[in-house]
Amino acid sequence: MFCLSKPKHILFGAMLAGATSFAPVYAAKIDVGIIGEADTFDPMISTKDVVSIVTQHFVETLYTFDSGWNIAPLLATDLPTISDDGKTYVIGIRQGISFHDGSSMDSADVAASLNRWLTISPRGKGVADRVASIDATGDYEITITMNEPYSPLLSLLAFSNSAAVVYPEEIIGETIDTIVGTGPYMIAEHVPDQYLQLVRFDGYSSRSEPSNGASGARNQIPDEIRFVPIPDASTRVESLLAGEVVFADGLPAESFARLEASEAADPILLKPFGWPIWAINHKAGLLTDKTMRQALQAALPIDDMLFAAFGDDNFFIVDGPMYPEGWVWRSDAGVELFNQNDQSRAAQLLESANYDGTPLRILTSRQYEFHFKMAEVAKVVLEAAGFTVQMDVVDWATLGQRRNDPALWDIYITHSPFLPEPALTSLYSKSSRLGWSNPEKDTILASFTTETDPTTRRELFAQLQNQVFEDVGFIKIGAFNALMGSAKGFEGITATPWPFFWNAKVN
Amino acid sequence: MVVVIFLVLTIAFIIVRLAPGDPAAVMLGPESTAEDAAELRAQLGLDRPIIVQYLAFVSNALRGDLGTSIFFKQPVTDVLLGRAEPTVFLSLFSLLIALLIAVPIGIYTAYRRGSLLDQTTISTAMLAASVPSFWTGLMLQRYLATDLGWFPASGYGGPDAMFWERMRHLLLPSIVLGIVNSALILRFTRASMLDILGEDYIRTARSKGMGEGRVILLHALKNAAIPIITVIGLTFALLVSGAVVTERVFNIPGMGNLVVSAVLRRDYPVIQGTLIVVASFYVLINLLTDLAYLLVDKRVKY
Repeated sequence: MFCLSKPKHILFGAMLAGATSFAPVYAAKIDVGIIGEADTFDPMISTKDVVSIVTQHFVETLYTFDSGWNIAPLLATDLPTISDDGKTYVIGIRQGISFHDGSSMDSADVAASLNRWLTISPRGKGVADRVASIDATGDYEITITMNEPYSPLLSLLAFSNSAAVVYPEEIIGETIDTIVGTGPYMIAEHVPDQYLQLVRFDGYSSRSEPSNGASGARNQIPDEIRFVPIPDASTRVESLLAGEVVFADGLPAESFARLEASEAADPILLKPFGWPIWAINHKAGLLTDKTMRQALQAALPIDDMLFAAFGDDNFFIVDGPMYPEGWVWRSDAGVELFNQNDQSRAAQLLESANYDGTPLRILTSRQYEFHFKMAEVAKVVLEAAGFTVQMDVVDWATLGQRRNDPALWDIYITHSPFLPEPALTSLYSKSSRLGWSNPEKDTILASFTTETDPTTRRELFAQLQNQVFEDVGFIKIGAFNALMGSAKGFEGITATPWPFFWNAKVN
Repeated sequence: MVVVIFLVLTIAFIIVRLAPGDPAAVMLGPESTAEDAAELRAQLGLDRPIIVQYLAFVSNALRGDLGTSIFFKQPVTDVLLGRAEPTVFLSLFSLLIALLIAVPIGIYTAYRRGSLLDQTTISTAMLAASVPSFWTGLMLQRYLATDLGWFPASGYGGPDAMFWERMRHLLLPSIVLGIVNSALILRFTRASMLDILGEDYIRTARSKGMGEGRVILLHALKNAAIPIITVIGLTFALLVSGAVVTERVFNIPGMGNLVVSAVLRRDYPVIQGTLIVVASFYVLINLLTDLAYLLVDKRVKY
């Protein structure tokens, strides 16, 4: 195991390097502390971030994102040729790509994989009814034919979450027991709750472009990457500071100062990481009434909720727009309704809605303590405005089950990283578990997903954002930052919600 | 024992199924729909009638098949066997440390009843029993492992770790558990010794000129041993069934860590399998404890 806290080793390494050349010496094996086990190694079926983080090292998609969240080819030769009507995508497939079992990838593998993705992936199923066919139209070419233009398609194909990864046609089935991919690393050993050992795949064909985010060359610098599940956040901090892991994800805000002062590690602040969401039930219950939703939105003190949840200005931003500064989707449409903190107005709205005191059920979990803390603050304020609030505090597995039944909740609390394409979140869709629908919003959303011109899409998204506030589709509770940490001398990593390590070096 | 195990099989199955929560929803993640979860539940066989699931579970369990972990995709018996080494050695080391602390001090404080040392020791034992083990663990982890580097901070070694390296990872958590568990054994040892030291045959032994060492070790301790053995047995069973908090703090892949993650993810087969193994172990430890009585007291008959 690489250990940075052993000065003698570093000195010895430096002497060796000095005896031969001044080329840096990199650790051959890196240990990465993650928040828990990946629930599956088949990223098609899961939308969990920890699954994406791990699996992107051994399975690959046709496209990926660069550091500016632009789409870039990965297993595809280039960006697709799209017909004038926007319905046909012809995608060239790279030749000479090997799977970990030694077989060669061709268009039959890609077509079979994408068809499986449409059938079993939560994100794939969301687009399946728009896809007429996916066919191999040459040994190294596939054609995707759509029923109607769908502009987020490439983002979906590029996303590592519920990912459209490519497997050998032979192993494809409803479930896949042994994952075989094309990625720069392959699974050597998995000991549950101890480690997932990935070793360099010698048959890997890297792209030749310079590395840029997840796109470009994947240089396979470490011989081995070991993902070590460390569920306790404090233990991840100690493991990092003790030199047992070179990178640790999901660290507690309280450890920031200690990491800053440390001689062994540095903090990495991903600013912003994502946004807490109050998902609103539009299918049943109190909040099917728009005036009630407006009362809820008027009452919430977003800044107080964020402060209670994160406790340090370094870790949250009181920001209304759906996307942070610097993103192409950034717009101020409707944000005057954000963070009103106006309980008098909320009370008036409750009165005009003839509110009868039926409890407002907030479904939350202490597994994400910041969800619970912001709900506690909101409860006090909502009660002051005249709501009767019922907090349903359960564990995450129960929340995951209950939110699927619209009869059991009015609001559930969740969070999401900022996703490169707005259509990657289901919140806007009337088919999501929120069931948010009104004719104006549905028309804007339909135009947004079929429009191909980037400028028009940005304008449409601004209108969609305005609808979020006007119709209170869901409530964005500002934005929050995430803390990660890396050992001193660790480089080659892009700060992202889904960090990857094929270009990582520990000098 | 068979009846106990059968009851445990049934109760484990019922409790797990009564608890709310859905392993399919956990696995699929936040962007999945109710339909996605229903499809995965069907794939996992969780949509079958409860009675069918129960009968399949019992008949498989009677053949030694505890099912397959929903998340690890491995037989539950293999998952549990993977936890055996860290759990058993952590328990043994912790018990050894607890005994090394508790028994000599318990005997000595009983012998010096009412002295300053006695009172100080009892107060310290109370403190050790009262302080949450996670706090003790975090403090020792931070200062002894991270800052001083005397011990590994967490984990059980990597893929290359040899046996002794893995055992080294158990030292600090064993010290934490040893300290925490020593308090109870110390109090039992002291109380038991106090009872015995007041007996007539101890006075007789002393009046015959026997040395204090022999009086204490040969006469008093031997007769005080039964309650001490009982509490040692119970402590060992508790440790093997999962030092949940300490394993979590030190990221030891033992039974306690397994139970926590299985419950959080609703990995039904693993929860059921763990309950059965732990219940069986309790029964076994009780049996061994009863047998140990025979060794220390010839008057005990079964």
